[in-house]
Amino acid sequence: MKIKNGFVLREVAGTPVVLPVGQASVDFSGMLSLNKSGVLLWKALEEGSDREALADALLAEYEVDRAEALSDVDEFIETLTKIGCIE
Amino acid sequence: MDGNNSILYCRIADLIAEIPAEGGLAPLCAGYAIDSADSPDIVVRASDYHTPTKFAATKETVAYMESGFQFYRQLLRFNGFYIHSSAVAYEGRAYLFSGPSGMGKSTHTRLWQSTFGEEAKIFNDDKPVLRRIDGRWYAYGTPWCGKNHININMKVPLGGICFLKQAEENRIRRLGSMEALQRLLSQTLRKRLNTEEAARLLSHVDKLIQEIPIFELENRPEPAAALLSYETMRRSAEEIGL
Repeated sequence: MKIKNGFVLREVAGTPVVLPVGQASVDFSGMLSLNKSGVLLWKALEEGSDREALADALLAEYEVDRAEALSDVDEFIETLTKIGCIE
Repeated sequence: MDGNNSILYCRIADLIAEIPAEGGLAPLCAGYAIDSADSPDIVVRASDYHTPTKFAATKETVAYMESGFQFYRQLLRFNGFYIHSSAVAYEGRAYLFSGPSGMGKSTHTRLWQSTFGEEAKIFNDDKPVLRRIDGRWYAYGTPWCGKNHININMKVPLGGICFLKQAEENRIRRLGSMEALQRLLSQTLRKRLNTEEAARLLSHVDKLIQEIPIFELENRPEPAAALLSYETMRRSAEEIGL
């Protein structure tokens, strides 16, 4: 899984925000604000990653168990899929 | 001179712009004309105009929309962007009333005019420019002023921005930074930006949110709503020295 081309991540008013650009902004004209773990997952997905590796990334940073990490990953991927920024 | 192929030289928002006259732009640009320009900041090219494929558009509409798109896109390089709004200048400050079409932007600034008289000047009714210059925000009139042709070439220190919502009662509140960001991004140039331009836009909006008070006014189209927005916005502009 990978973030499609056409999204920029920037901090605005202290909050990380994802904004679609180009063709992506025609399909999804909103914006997405991320928390800290969202930024971690986003950056991993910019490089390309899978469900297990994303959970590993969360486990390396946060004191959560694997089941929790996987459920966070699934929820995040579901959100990104809905707005069409993942391929 | 052949009016169809001539170039207009303008000073818009303190930037030198070269704009093709074709498609009826000359009258809109008249208040911004300068004699000539050796090194324009912004160049609009008719050869880059896109003609929409999904609906029929006249040559005039295409020229108006596309010249605006090119101007506002290049404006991002000069600490500036537009907010889709009706802009009124009063007591030395600019107040912008924004929101989706049909939200009563023009109605509200006309209420300012009828309530405060001739001193309240509507200087743009669609896409005024905001620019941050030496740490201060200014609003400017532009030729892209909307269908009512309310178009005054002015530069006014920005006092505040207010998003409008129709309601049964008049009520105003300051927006939090994420709410303000969402509203601002929904009423500015978003489509057809590249990554660098989008990053610039976010950085300008980030500063704007930190430096300019942004409100939501739930309102009925009546003078009391104009008084409420004026008193609230003037007070907070004064408090932070705008």
